[in-house]
Amino acid sequence: MRAFVFTDKALERYAGRFVWLAVDTENAKNAAFLTKYPIPALPTLLVLDPRQESVALRYVGGATLPQLTKLLDDGERAFRGRSSSSADTLLASADKLAGAGKNDEAVKLYAQALAKAPKKWKPYNRAAESYAVTLSLAGNSSECASAARDLYPRLKGTPSGANVAATGLDCALSMEKKDPALITTLEKAARESFDDPKVAAAMSGDDRSGLYIVLISAREEAKDEPGAKQLQQEWSSFLDAEAAKAATPEGRSVYDSHRLSAYLELGTPEKAIPMLEQSERDFPDDYNPPARLALAYKTMKKYDEALAASDRALKHVYGPRKLNVLRARAEIYAEKGDKESARKTISEALAYAKSLPAGQRSERTIAALEKRLATM
Amino acid sequence: MTPYTQTMKRLTLALALLTLAATATAKEAVPFIENDYATALSKAKAKNLPIFVETWAPW
Repeated sequence: MRAFVFTDKALERYAGRFVWLAVDTENAKNAAFLTKYPIPALPTLLVLDPRQESVALRYVGGATLPQLTKLLDDGERAFRGRSSSSADTLLASADKLAGAGKNDEAVKLYAQALAKAPKKWKPYNRAAESYAVTLSLAGNSSECASAARDLYPRLKGTPSGANVAATGLDCALSMEKKDPALITTLEKAARESFDDPKVAAAMSGDDRSGLYIVLISAREEAKDEPGAKQLQQEWSSFLDAEAAKAATPEGRSVYDSHRLSAYLELGTPEKAIPMLEQSERDFPDDYNPPARLALAYKTMKKYDEALAASDRALKHVYGPRKLNVLRARAEIYAEKGDKESARKTISEALAYAKSLPAGQRSERTIAALEKRLATM
Repeated sequence: MTPYTQTMKRLTLALALLTLAATATAKEAVPFIENDYATALSKAKAKNLPIFVETWAPW
């Protein structure tokens, strides 16, 4: 969004109507903010009410310009208390609860807001998306999948429909006891949204990439190898084409991580090298290009190049992401057969994980590192 | 919005999390305060304005 949306002059008319805050979740300065407002995924967009320090609106995900202006209008309305219906009030309360990390309570209110929605209620699509995604975040995959199936017909033909279908399909694929009929219905809905040019044009690149990802997973679940492979190739070409269209290095490099994933899945890691070398030249202070190069070289079994790239990444990385770089480094050593260095690197990661402040410290990560260390 | 579980499975591979974000800041059309909630809060209280927050990470 930084490369494409917040640079758009159309946002200037909103400039004086909000105070604008950018929060880098890796920066230790934001640890207290993250404790107060738990962020489930990035990006998450919030409108806060400074009088009560509470969440007036929350949207998990990226947005295109038209989606963002709608969120800003809705957020301003919620802040000014211009809720005209009980559905508005319920939605605002649901966002507030979700914004405080209380997903189980929030889903009940999203459901009530949708049930009481007046005809042509403007925030319907956003409420439906937030309902599905909050069910998913609450770990309620089964209800998430059936809610998405029930919500989809009214949302069909919109980016929200595509997102709800994708989230529902993602949930259906994560259910412990799979329901093949539910998967089929949701895959059909996601595919239909995917093939609708009007929907495609209105979606952000990352949402479109997310749709590819979940459709590939559905084909894999159906044991349709050629179907999955074909979609992987389409996904990769789509990302290459989007990157080629970008007018600036920033615009191009936003696709690096997805393109690398696609190349790795297709077994062509070497295709990532020139793109990542270019990004490293364009952004010499960014840890990401060398961290990704390390991963590509490791997959190619070029361990010395991988370690050299990892050294360069470590010079620039900070915050919880440093753990990812250290873990990847340990795996390079492990694959190279240098057990001692692998072990030392995981120990270093563990010490660093324990040193992070509340809001950035993750007990789950610490447990995972301890578990990995025990196997070494 | 992003389908989380499958995306996580695929993209953590590439040290990416959920969605695309820029690695560097291009010129913005709105005046962002960077990483300073306290300043944003006092400004918003003084002007009686809501705070818009974009949470992101460099990747």
